[in-house]
Amino acid sequence: MGKAKKHEAESLQIPMSSMIDVVFQLLIYFIVTSTREIPEAHLAVNLPTPSTTSSTKIKPKLLELQVMPGQVMLQGTPRSPEMIKENLTALAKLDAEQTVIVKVSPLARTEELVRVLDLCRGVGLTKLNVVTLR
Amino acid sequence: MRRKPSSEQLETPITSLIDVVFQLIIFFVVTAASEKDLVDENVKLAQAKYAKAEQKRAANTIIINVPRDGNVNIAMQPVTPKQLHQILSSSVSKFGNQMTVILRCDGEVLFRDVDRIIQVVGKAGLYRIRISAEALQ
Repeated sequence: MGKAKKHEAESLQIPMSSMIDVVFQLLIYFIVTSTREIPEAHLAVNLPTPSTTSSTKIKPKLLELQVMPGQVMLQGTPRSPEMIKENLTALAKLDAEQTVIVKVSPLARTEELVRVLDLCRGVGLTKLNVVTLR
Repeated sequence: MRRKPSSEQLETPITSLIDVVFQLIIFFVVTAASEKDLVDENVKLAQAKYAKAEQKRAANTIIINVPRDGNVNIAMQPVTPKQLHQILSSSVSKFGNQMTVILRCDGEVLFRDVDRIIQVVGKAGLYRIRISAEALQ
């Protein structure tokens, strides 16, 4: 009688091996379909307010960067990326609060603008205004 | 009398393994689904060396994807400039003009296309505009 009860208890066990297979299939599916989350930084694009002067006039003591396709100009002079970084670092040391006007050519790529904005933030220049070169 | 060795002693206890695997599945389901519809994976962001990655997104943000093919979309839904203006204007009327607009632009997109969108955003009354970049640090 005892042996019959024990046999009943054994037969009530749920077979888990197939469930493991199904669960692993699901896991592999979700691992394969999930994508790596790219860490994003958000660079502020400050538009000039209507009270500022037009883009053709430059206020004194404003730093001007021009982003053209394939090159960047600082105060109207084309410079290499290394020179730009050096100059901006030196200027930021003098006055990190100065306003930087970033004039972007419509044909410049977003990547070039992002590089310049990122560089400015990297050297400590945070007051950036972006305008379009007409 | 010899006792037949019980076959149960050789079985591997796998019930705990099932629990662990389910936890992993739930993790991948949740992380795969979150923000999947807001972010256009066709957009290859420009890289930023110095800017730090945002730890958490500010409340009341609108994400506008600008892929290379020029089909501007919000949450994977293509929008024309007119529709974009309507969406932004209605958002401003509901949440005010303190909303942040995040432009996820492909690195190869020309600035004139981005400027067009910035103009639409400005006309809707929003001025907090951010360009998204892939943070390398």
